[in-house]
Amino acid sequence: MRMGRNPVARAVQAFFRDYLVLVMITVLVTITAIVQPKFLTERNLTNIMRQFGPLMMVSLGMTFVIIGNFIDLSVAGIINLVAVVTISLIGPWGQVPALLTGLAIGAGCGALNAAAILTSGALTQAEALFLTFGMSTVFSALALLYSGGMTMHFWDIKTSKSMFETIGAGTVGPFSVSFVIFLVVLLLLWIFQTKTTEGRAISLTGGNKTAARLSGIRILRSIFVIYVVCGLMTGVGAIVLFSRITTAAPVIGAGYETNAILAVVVGGTTLKGGKGSVLRTVMGVLLVVLMSNCLDLLGVSTYLQVVTKGAILILAIWLDNRKQV
Amino acid sequence: MAASGSEVILSIRDVSKSFPGVKALDGVSIDVRRGTVHGIVGENGAGKSTLMKIMSGVYQKDSGTIEFDGARVEHTTPYQSMQSGLAIIYQELNLVNTMSVGENVFLGRFKEMKGMRGTHAKARELLDSIGCKVPTTRLVSELSVSEKQMVEIVKALSFSSKLIIMDEPSSSLTGEEMAELVKIIRQLKEKGISIIYISHKLDEIFQFCDIVSVMRDGRVVDTKAVAEFTRNELISKMVGRTIENEYPARPHSVGEVVMEVRSIKTHKLHDISFKLHKGEILGLVGLVGAGRTEIVRAIYGADKARGHKVFLGGKIATIRNPKHAKDFGIGLIPEDRKLQGLVLPFSVESNISMGSIRKFSRLGFIRRSIEKGIGARQVQALSIKTPSTRVAVNNLSGGNQQKVIVGRWLEISPQIFIMDEPTRGIDVGAKYEIYLLMKRIVEAGASIILISSELPEVLNMSNRVLTIFEGRITGEFEPEKTPVDEIMKAALGFEGGAA
Repeated sequence: MRMGRNPVARAVQAFFRDYLVLVMITVLVTITAIVQPKFLTERNLTNIMRQFGPLMMVSLGMTFVIIGNFIDLSVAGIINLVAVVTISLIGPWGQVPALLTGLAIGAGCGALNAAAILTSGALTQAEALFLTFGMSTVFSALALLYSGGMTMHFWDIKTSKSMFETIGAGTVGPFSVSFVIFLVVLLLLWIFQTKTTEGRAISLTGGNKTAARLSGIRILRSIFVIYVVCGLMTGVGAIVLFSRITTAAPVIGAGYETNAILAVVVGGTTLKGGKGSVLRTVMGVLLVVLMSNCLDLLGVSTYLQVVTKGAILILAIWLDNRKQV
Repeated sequence: MAASGSEVILSIRDVSKSFPGVKALDGVSIDVRRGTVHGIVGENGAGKSTLMKIMSGVYQKDSGTIEFDGARVEHTTPYQSMQSGLAIIYQELNLVNTMSVGENVFLGRFKEMKGMRGTHAKARELLDSIGCKVPTTRLVSELSVSEKQMVEIVKALSFSSKLIIMDEPSSSLTGEEMAELVKIIRQLKEKGISIIYISHKLDEIFQFCDIVSVMRDGRVVDTKAVAEFTRNELISKMVGRTIENEYPARPHSVGEVVMEVRSIKTHKLHDISFKLHKGEILGLVGLVGAGRTEIVRAIYGADKARGHKVFLGGKIATIRNPKHAKDFGIGLIPEDRKLQGLVLPFSVESNISMGSIRKFSRLGFIRRSIEKGIGARQVQALSIKTPSTRVAVNNLSGGNQQKVIVGRWLEISPQIFIMDEPTRGIDVGAKYEIYLLMKRIVEAGASIILISSELPEVLNMSNRVLTIFEGRITGEFEPEKTPVDEIMKAALGFEGGAA
């Protein structure tokens, strides 16, 4: 409890604590729009809509893991594996089987993460961090083995690849197809998180594992579910990603784990578990993508952009910790 | 009054203090006279610590006056109040563990003491004055809790304090250490130093306090010489109503066997077997670490145990995890409310409903209207004091938090309740409410296994007690018919304790 503050000061403080991200997006976008006319062109906005698809999918999945008070560093490896396997199967197996296999591999990788965590009893966030980091190496190595280190291109595919082309570049009215996919997925995940008993069990597990277990909630199942959801969503992200760039290299997932965690935490889901929301993550992803876009347009160097991202992650964690006081 | 005659050293007049949404102090007035031990009692949340923090300068009062030693006290800092002769010894002692006793006493004042030699010499002098033999060069980390407390007292004396406030000083002291503290308090009193003694333990108040003020809901409800109070009067003043007894009458109608446990073995437990009857409160008595909690956790499936069998209503029940236990109608109120019982940042409602999710779900979806009903029903039935069911359970007092956990289980009405330290850290009035609840539970035909470190509590509440010593059951008693020392002997592992 802080003392000696009048209600107005407290309200302002609470506003910045809860909506700092939103404020930052607004300020950044306003500045860019004023100084860089290229920002508000249709081309740039379409570009942004397409760009955030893959990161959005991965981050939405990551949100569940973080609400459950765990962490998943293996998403980069999963993207690599799903992308190379799926693209290679479009020719021999056809589009739908390839798509389903890709999603199954994503979910399967998540299940493997969960199995490793549950069987080893590594039931803390820190232990899961190392374990999934190890799994990421395994998945990436499998992707390299499978592809022989080669990048695969759409033009290598002799049969129809129209569905993936639609995912990558199609539009529905004014929106890109990937944006529509995002809306549908967001709705489903929001319902899952807030309206179902499993969603509640995940939050309670994240809020206090011991108390949840002792009150008869199946926490092991919840842990399994969060990793499968994260794996599956990462699979979706991988497919959206290679459909957009029309190639799949066994390293295209690099950096997704940090960006996804950044987006989730910047959005306001606490790393302490329990509290958070997929809607907040949408805000976080928007900031990360808009920030990259704006900084690009403002001519800021890539290296400085990395520094900025790191600084924002630290700021977000700092704010998150102050909230608990 | 006992010590009227002597002058008033501290005069608190009409002091009020509000926090957002709470009036922590409401027109508090207390006079403390020179050379008296002034006890302040009250339940958790009565305002005692807020008052102390205002006096030491941690908080600022909203209104009212405080006069200490003839001077108005306004906007002090903790250091200023120390220098004016008012010292506070907090429950969690404020010493630097890695420094010596002497250095701690004169922390930050080495120059005034003319270096280390002066520091240690002066510290020795002060320690001797209260008959404390601890070498001044000893590191504080090597001291016992009571020795640390003496260092704090000496530190207060070094500022030539006229008033020392002690906040729950006895909470971590053994009986002998307590006797030592009482001796020192009497010495300080003879030197004309006044003491404000804040405590939950009524025995201490009656043992050595001269005057006692009772606080309740941010007010002082009464101040009298201790001799004019009776124990029951003091308790009823604290809780705001008359309590005939500290414990409700024991339930009597005990029925057939509902649970039989056969040979629990873990690395800590040796062949634990016992029976539990319908409508019974079975107490487990033993030292901390004797294995009481391990026994119930093994039954509940919370820890891995080998080869034991649990029979419920004559049928074998395989319980491998807490979920199984819940499905078999066993509920656990765990020993650590905040770490094991509650999801603190979550609402009262979801903390109540989390045990009965199945009840308000259909096809995996939550039905909010039913969940709301569950929350509201238990809050009302247990009269949980909370502004609304949507408030984070973190904001409730200890007793109300415990009721939230009880409510969670009542909602699925288990036949066997395991209660591990159900009244730890909650105040007298809330304790009594928990006892009444326990009574209601057994009268409705369920059974309770009760673990408590407060011996009077187990003995007064239980129909039957088992004594546990080093992982073994050493005796079985009916506390109503057995002298306490016989039960204690068995719990402490003396031979011949078994009945």
